[in-house]
Amino acid sequence: MSSKIPPSIGFAARVLVGTVLVYAGAVKAAGPSEEFAIVIGSYDVLPHDMVLTAATFLPWVELLLGWSLIFGLRLRAAAAAAAALFAAFLCALLSVQLKGIQLPNCGCFGDAMHFTPRQAFFVDSGLAALCWLSWKSAPARLSLDTWCD
Amino acid sequence: MILSAMDRLPRLIASIIIVLATSAGSVRIARGVRKPFSSNAPDYRMLGPQNAKVTIIEFSDFECPACRVAEAPMRALLKLYDGKVRLVFKHFPLERMHRWARAGAIAAECAGRQGKFWEYHHELYDHQDEWASAKSEQRLPAYAARLGLNTLAWNACRQDPAVNAAVNSDAKDALNAWVGSTPTFFINGKRFVGALQLSERGTPWVEKELKK
Repeated sequence: MSSKIPPSIGFAARVLVGTVLVYAGAVKAAGPSEEFAIVIGSYDVLPHDMVLTAATFLPWVELLLGWSLIFGLRLRAAAAAAAALFAAFLCALLSVQLKGIQLPNCGCFGDAMHFTPRQAFFVDSGLAALCWLSWKSAPARLSLDTWCD
Repeated sequence: MILSAMDRLPRLIASIIIVLATSAGSVRIARGVRKPFSSNAPDYRMLGPQNAKVTIIEFSDFECPACRVAEAPMRALLKLYDGKVRLVFKHFPLERMHRWARAGAIAAECAGRQGKFWEYHHELYDHQDEWASAKSEQRLPAYAARLGLNTLAWNACRQDPAVNAAVNSDAKDALNAWVGSTPTFFINGKRFVGALQLSERGTPWVEKELKK
């Protein structure tokens, strides 16, 4: 299955998705979770009492998945989980559009970078496609998986 | 060469440690050096007794609609715990989004210098839609006149660079406190952002702090 993807493309895809996830996770995990909770709350997709918990843990999930992709640790699982995360983000963005909620900023990168929901939709779709390339590239030579096995 | 399961385990554990350590390290780098922020403000921007068990520091922007929404729960909280809570107001005009926010902050600051900060504060929030527009220069002096301020002194104060510097100093404190949106409240150091967090979690937190 992996033979269809040149290793360099697979490597570039996983490093790119990983870097975006690490950046997004780090800027949010570094800041106060109460700030990010406001952004999650504005999507109106989670019950109120889960919002702060999600705001605390979601950046760490992004970080761990990002570094797992970059280092190639459990690459297939990490790529699948990252794709599922992007699918969840896309569903949240779609629900915001359907509900007519006006979000000035998607909140994807905390306060560091501002994307409109429409821009975020395209970025997340592209990243989900790169997750598929990362998944296809496993088992990759330049990865912790190879070192472990 | 394929390793046996027993040989793989230490490598797997080492790999997991590498991922965990780099994750923690990247947050540390993103966090940078945290600077302390000052909770100081002139007396006219404080409400409640100096020795109150609970101090609320509010970073707010007069043009921000979310700050106006948070006014009702804040006024309710102050009424509920009258005499037990101290409120310190700090300016954080988000000029990237709110063009008239600094003018509002300076106008309130100058009202404060004549002892009517809170009255002017209420005028600004109660009539936010009215003054946060091109009519700002007409409406702000009208509120000053309505409150019986000395308008000559109030106008002169608005040109005083020291007033602008006081607003800048508060904004710097907000950035040091990692305040990204308004209103942000620190209740005995614990952060609450927006009206919902203030009313749903802030009030029980005040209750808890008062019982200590």
